[in-house]
Amino acid sequence: MASKKFCKQQSGRRNMQSSPPYHLRASTSSLSSLDDMCSAKEWALSALQECARAISDNDSAKMHHLLWMLNEFGSPYGDVEERLASHFLQALFSKATDLGDSRHNMLVSLAHKNHSFDTMKRVILKFQEVSPWTTFGHVSSNGAILETLEGEPKIHIVDISNTYCTQWPTFLEALASRDGEVPHVRLTVVAMEIMEGSTVKEMSRRMKRFARLMRVPFEFNVVSVALELCELKEEEIEIREDEAVAVNCVGTLRRVSIGERSSFIRLLRRLRPRIVTIAEEEADFTNTRGDFVRCFEECLRFYALLFEMLEESFETTSNERLVLERECSRSILGVIACDKGGGGECERREKGSQWSARLEECFSPTKFSDDVEDDVRALSRRCRAGWSVVAAEGRASGLYLAWKGEPVVWASAWKPQNEVSEVSESYRNLM
Amino acid sequence: MFASAALSNSTSMSEEGSASSETRAHDFNSLISFLTPTSPSQHLQQSQAKGKKKRSQPGNPDPDAEVVALSPKTLIATNRFVCEICNKGFQRDQNLQLHRRGHNLPWKLRQRSSKEGVRKRVYVCPEPSCVHHHPSRALGDLTGIKKHFSRKHGEKKWKCDKCSKRYAVHSDWKAHVKTCGTREYRCDCGTLFSRKDSFVTHKAFCDALAEESAKLLTTSSSSTTTTITTNPLILDHPFFPFSSLDPTIFTNPNPNPNLNYNPHPPPLLRPYAFHLATTEAAAAAAPPHLSATSLLQRASAVGPIITGAASCHVGCADFDAGGLATWHAGDRLTRDFLGVVAGEEAPGGVRDLLPLTCLDLVTAPHYCAQVGDHTCTNPVSETWGNC
Repeated sequence: MASKKFCKQQSGRRNMQSSPPYHLRASTSSLSSLDDMCSAKEWALSALQECARAISDNDSAKMHHLLWMLNEFGSPYGDVEERLASHFLQALFSKATDLGDSRHNMLVSLAHKNHSFDTMKRVILKFQEVSPWTTFGHVSSNGAILETLEGEPKIHIVDISNTYCTQWPTFLEALASRDGEVPHVRLTVVAMEIMEGSTVKEMSRRMKRFARLMRVPFEFNVVSVALELCELKEEEIEIREDEAVAVNCVGTLRRVSIGERSSFIRLLRRLRPRIVTIAEEEADFTNTRGDFVRCFEECLRFYALLFEMLEESFETTSNERLVLERECSRSILGVIACDKGGGGECERREKGSQWSARLEECFSPTKFSDDVEDDVRALSRRCRAGWSVVAAEGRASGLYLAWKGEPVVWASAWKPQNEVSEVSESYRNLM
Repeated sequence: MFASAALSNSTSMSEEGSASSETRAHDFNSLISFLTPTSPSQHLQQSQAKGKKKRSQPGNPDPDAEVVALSPKTLIATNRFVCEICNKGFQRDQNLQLHRRGHNLPWKLRQRSSKEGVRKRVYVCPEPSCVHHHPSRALGDLTGIKKHFSRKHGEKKWKCDKCSKRYAVHSDWKAHVKTCGTREYRCDCGTLFSRKDSFVTHKAFCDALAEESAKLLTTSSSSTTTTITTNPLILDHPFFPFSSLDPTIFTNPNPNPNLNYNPHPPPLLRPYAFHLATTEAAAAAAPPHLSATSLLQRASAVGPIITGAASCHVGCADFDAGGLATWHAGDRLTRDFLGVVAGEEAPGGVRDLLPLTCLDLVTAPHYCAQVGDHTCTNPVSETWGNC
């Protein structure tokens, strides 16, 4: 097969510097010139886009042809383009055959079965070692929380994240190491039922044990939520009068149904947090929802970056990378082939500027301190080259983690609006 | 006596420039209040009269010495050595003298004013809340008091690029930058980390903490790898009509399915690893004022012993006696580290460790021979004795 010969020739590292960004490169090629393409990467990405267009245009012949070629070319174990082709092929195929929802459900239950705590723990810890993708949000959030709640004797953190509590050991260690009294810490984890019960138990055990080691007085609670995060009720999260609350959302705002996002943010406001820290992946699958081709292109752009990052961060024969890519595959399927009424399972991401617009209804952005910014920059330098930290401009506030110049993760901190007047009001009452 | 003290101050501090002159007036008044009755210093004198003169501990000054209190401004000033001719400032006296030579001074002025009868000076910290504020805890070295003041009470202007740790004293910062990132942290499970944050996170989730040590003796990761590798079979095969008939898709291309990010220690090593886990537990349960960082660091400091013991079966010259010396932490603190509240006996706790520690004594005789030398006077040896 000609296409197979292509991928054999294109092994090894390509010089990424000279290539234009993906979203520009792939859009202009046509079906007839596929054989003339000088690189397998260009071919793969353009074929995927052409296929999406064919599906959107209902061009059955073209669609079948491309699906077949992509199937021949793609492999979940090949290089970046082969992997992208393989996973996006699954999504396109499901879209074309209207089997997206059922396939997604199947993948969810498969993940549920195969992702034991040990597996996910190993995967995420390895991922955090080789890449600052998740730890960027952790470091910025922890820094902001520590600074905002300094001096508070009782801290309550409401954690709605997808990182299995890996954020908290460094937080507890920092609390224990800094000068002054060690506060009492309550950690309430909002767990979605996709996380099985034993995972939650393990997380609880580890956190409690580690807090003991760090000599931090500690309480751990779990609030379980069924499929949709918007089902969360604030009464389930027990907020006590004498504690300072911080809400931490890493990678989970996107799991709220699109229609419920404003309502969810209002719920967070009702928890009376002193600070809300957010970390989200920078992609727009929400506004593009109506336009299949645009949504596909955005999805391809984002995941091409992600897959390339995974390839360069992990070793070639890494099992952890495979698990992460499978997670991505399910996400891709959710965005491309499912809609579920904009339901949370599709994980329709929004960009920082979009989240900011939503958050501004109840919260005001607060800038990360210079120290926190230095910390995340130091973090980005510790991993292999390619990472940088960029300050947000315009509508968005906060910081971006950028991979090869492209922003990929957004981190920001928010304080409730009218907070100043609330505080001074209570002081006046005390006098 | 006070008057002469003030005078001798002024002559010997001339090279420090006019900046300190106003402070001397203040200091004269404060000196009066500083000079305490001699009873504590008499005691010091007696203890120091015994043997040969050795370097005293910081903050326990020579009682005969003259107490000097410099102002904060003087303490943080760089370039305190000022040329009286051109007013150029220098950080070191030697540099100033070199510079003065260039002015072609006549012979008489060349000589520095002789320091006759200058007594040893000790310095107190101007910060009232500081322990070194009191003359009985004065520091003997001018550079020392300057560094102390900056470190404790000064602004931390120097920042490490890699870990963003902050320092007030430039030399501290320089020393840190040299070692930052080169320092290794070792977890109980044997994994080595070059970064503290990875180490901390790993440690929280690691199964190999002392109280979990039973798991060390059972096989670890092989069972979980199979679940990952069989995934593609479930995923791809039944669904796609387009699936290629190429069977290579369904086999795991990874040549090494063994997902061991923990190095498998040789069987001989395991009892060591566990035994050292208890060592590390005791070592890590240090006096309460020790920070969390040092709790983790002690865990790592004892780490290298594992490979040391394994690699050199004879001699064990690189045995870290220093690490074991910290064993004198009491039993109560050991339990505290293991997660039992002080004074209570947890259902698991120290007792459960005993059968396994006995195992160590049986399987690692030469190692225990080494240990015996150190632990004969240790309260922790009672744990061993109970076997």
